[in-house]
Amino acid sequence: MTNYFYVAPEQLIRDRAEFAQKGIARGRSIVGAIFDNGVVLVAENPSASLFKISEIYDRIAFAGVGKYNEFDRLREAGIRWADSTGFTYSRGDVDVRALANYYAQHLGDMFTEGQKPLEVEILVAQLGNNTRPTKLYRIAYEGTISDEPRFAVLGGDAETIKARFEASEDSLESLSTTLTNAVSALAGPDRTIDVGDLEVGILEDRGNRRTFTRLNDDQVSELLR
Amino acid sequence: MGLPLFSASDDPGPSFFHFAQSTGLTPPVSNSSATSAHATTVIAVRYVGGVVMVGDRQATGNYIASRDVRKIEAADRYTAIAISGTAARGIEFIRMAQLSFEHYEKMTDTALSLEGKANYLSPIIQRNNLSSPLLVLPLLAGWDSALKVGRIFEYDGAGGCYERFDFSTIGSGTPFAEGTLRLGFNAELDRDAAIELGALAMYEAGDNDPSTGGPDFVRNLFPMIVTISSEGFQELAPDDVAERFRVINERRTQSGGVAGGSLR
Repeated sequence: MTNYFYVAPEQLIRDRAEFAQKGIARGRSIVGAIFDNGVVLVAENPSASLFKISEIYDRIAFAGVGKYNEFDRLREAGIRWADSTGFTYSRGDVDVRALANYYAQHLGDMFTEGQKPLEVEILVAQLGNNTRPTKLYRIAYEGTISDEPRFAVLGGDAETIKARFEASEDSLESLSTTLTNAVSALAGPDRTIDVGDLEVGILEDRGNRRTFTRLNDDQVSELLR
Repeated sequence: MGLPLFSASDDPGPSFFHFAQSTGLTPPVSNSSATSAHATTVIAVRYVGGVVMVGDRQATGNYIASRDVRKIEAADRYTAIAISGTAARGIEFIRMAQLSFEHYEKMTDTALSLEGKANYLSPIIQRNNLSSPLLVLPLLAGWDSALKVGRIFEYDGAGGCYERFDFSTIGSGTPFAEGTLRLGFNAELDRDAAIELGALAMYEAGDNDPSTGGPDFVRNLFPMIVTISSEGFQELAPDDVAERFRVINERRTQSGGVAGGSLR
């Protein structure tokens, strides 16, 4: 016969939260911010091939921090969800809020029912048009979803970075300014981040159906000057 | 649809078609052996620097159902797909191809090679054609950015994929278009000469095949002409296309409908 020890639900949740937070805090942070003409996502990422920022759909982008295999599976699920929704209905019917809710439900389920909570925090961004607003949804490891009005910070050091970014920008700025502010918020006062260690993706209308672009090192250096 | 999550062992990978099958997004197919005619003419001609495609605009049932159908679509920036066969299946096929190539690119962060795209379509065609009387026979042409050449891939009814190094045609106007292409093709064609040859072949098909719509001067509707090159998929302006067919038509009118022994 197996003996189960009683664990108070409060304790269980606390332990799980602590576990997830620890995992997330190990990685580098991400800033996602709205600029005057779109959305920019900036990650500190020494790898040039294992991406944290990706395209989900024509006007939707994804960013994840924490365990790579876990958020990458969420990214793939998001692309599949968006592509099949667009295939079934129409491209215009793919909306970020529905996707954010699915992510929140899944993360919530894993937090309470899974073997272990997912050690990830994700951000889904939507570039607005005449029928939809520009949106940033941050979804935490336990399924909490927050609708961020102007910018969002993911990762272990989120509060500090958030304060730094908030102090540097109080209205919509150009891509160049927003990116510069985001990078200095990520770096902090005591260090600089090499351009090669930055991963930058933007959602911007350039007359194409697909609005996501990954910026290369040269483009990033140009914008940071 | 909920969030489609898979375990690593039953993950369908970056293929949208396999994913769609695993989730029941594509309807199940049943067995049937009847066939339907594919009333169309689409021509692809390879030239130095790319591929020209010409497609007629007519949808034919027992009567003319539409005169302005687009049978050639960009599958992505460097790839064009043309369809012959059942319109409904053809449209679904194009949608599936377009979405699949983009899906693969998003999932893996790399674009499929042109050959990869060509091979990917084979089982989709096979699955459709061996299980349904509503046949679809596509033609794929694209710019191979690795080899820096235009390439053409044609398919047989069972999904077999064959690369053609000169030209290819699909649809009921094939015999007439192909005759013209065989006489006029050479490996040194430039873009303009290839467009000219393609237009002439289409004129012939429209002239002889009742299910192919040639140039329609009454309604000002003309076959569509596209090029796929290092510049990507480009469609010729309607005025440009109209002018080319007008010139051919003018010549033919003067010679009383006779081609005149030379390829003109």
